[in-house]
Amino acid sequence: MSAAVDCELTVKEEEGFLLHLSECKECKDEFDDAKKTKMIIKEKIVQFKAPQSLFNSIMELTSVSSLEH
Amino acid sequence: MDKPDPTRNDTTRTKKESLSKEERQKQLEFQKEAVVHLNSLYNYALHLTMNPSDAEDLVQETYLKAYRFFNSFERGTNCKAWLFKILKNNYINRFRKNSKEPGKVDYDLIKDFYHSIKDVQNDTSEAESDYFHSLLHEEVHQALHSLPEEFREVIQLCDIDGFTYEEIANMVESPIGTVRSRLYRGRKLLREQLEGYAKKYGFNTDKDH
Repeated sequence: MSAAVDCELTVKEEEGFLLHLSECKECKDEFDDAKKTKMIIKEKIVQFKAPQSLFNSIMELTSVSSLEH
Repeated sequence: MDKPDPTRNDTTRTKKESLSKEERQKQLEFQKEAVVHLNSLYNYALHLTMNPSDAEDLVQETYLKAYRFFNSFERGTNCKAWLFKILKNNYINRFRKNSKEPGKVDYDLIKDFYHSIKDVQNDTSEAESDYFHSLLHEEVHQALHSLPEEFREVIQLCDIDGFTYEEIANMVESPIGTVRSRLYRGRKLLREQLEGYAKKYGFNTDKDH
């Protein structure tokens, strides 16, 4: 089920899975719910922007400013 | 006093000029391959530490280590996954060293943090009148963090960071089958939590079943 939600099934496995879903309402519902849960996490978990100071210090670590002169 | 430039500038320049061509090449490549994942790493660190300042330290340490060992990074593989793995190891070592309790969540802190960024958040509210869309970011966040660590981790790596099962298995050092079943169980638990929130708002979560 998870593998189906995450598109980790092989083509053949997916065929079999879809065939099963067409016959089994219970699994179909569960599949829809699982997909929805994944969407929610994707949409609702806020991604923060790393602080500029952190970016700067990491860039300093790998600074190539000598090339700019 | 007989030097024309301040000492500091002089030292810097000497250091930069002494950088070999290969070193500069490495720096450029590192920026292109690794530094672009800064935001993802920072968010991962935030989820692990639940503390912005710890997260910054962890990310900085990770990049330092990654840069030092950049030669051992297998070109053509997923650099983001490589960095995540380093960060995770750093995190484990750090908590082991400090014998601090990992996964301890400061909800108030996180809540404040959310409030502070709420304005910059662009809400992708779709027309769909689904009860899930009424859920607040904070609630989803809390629901996710209420899960046992092993479930939360795989969900995060899969749904937020988009890693494949194979990459996740490597990161959490478990077989793919374990990752799969943790995802399954974790999502189920998560759904129960979220439905709890939805019901609180008077949404009938059974309506479309």
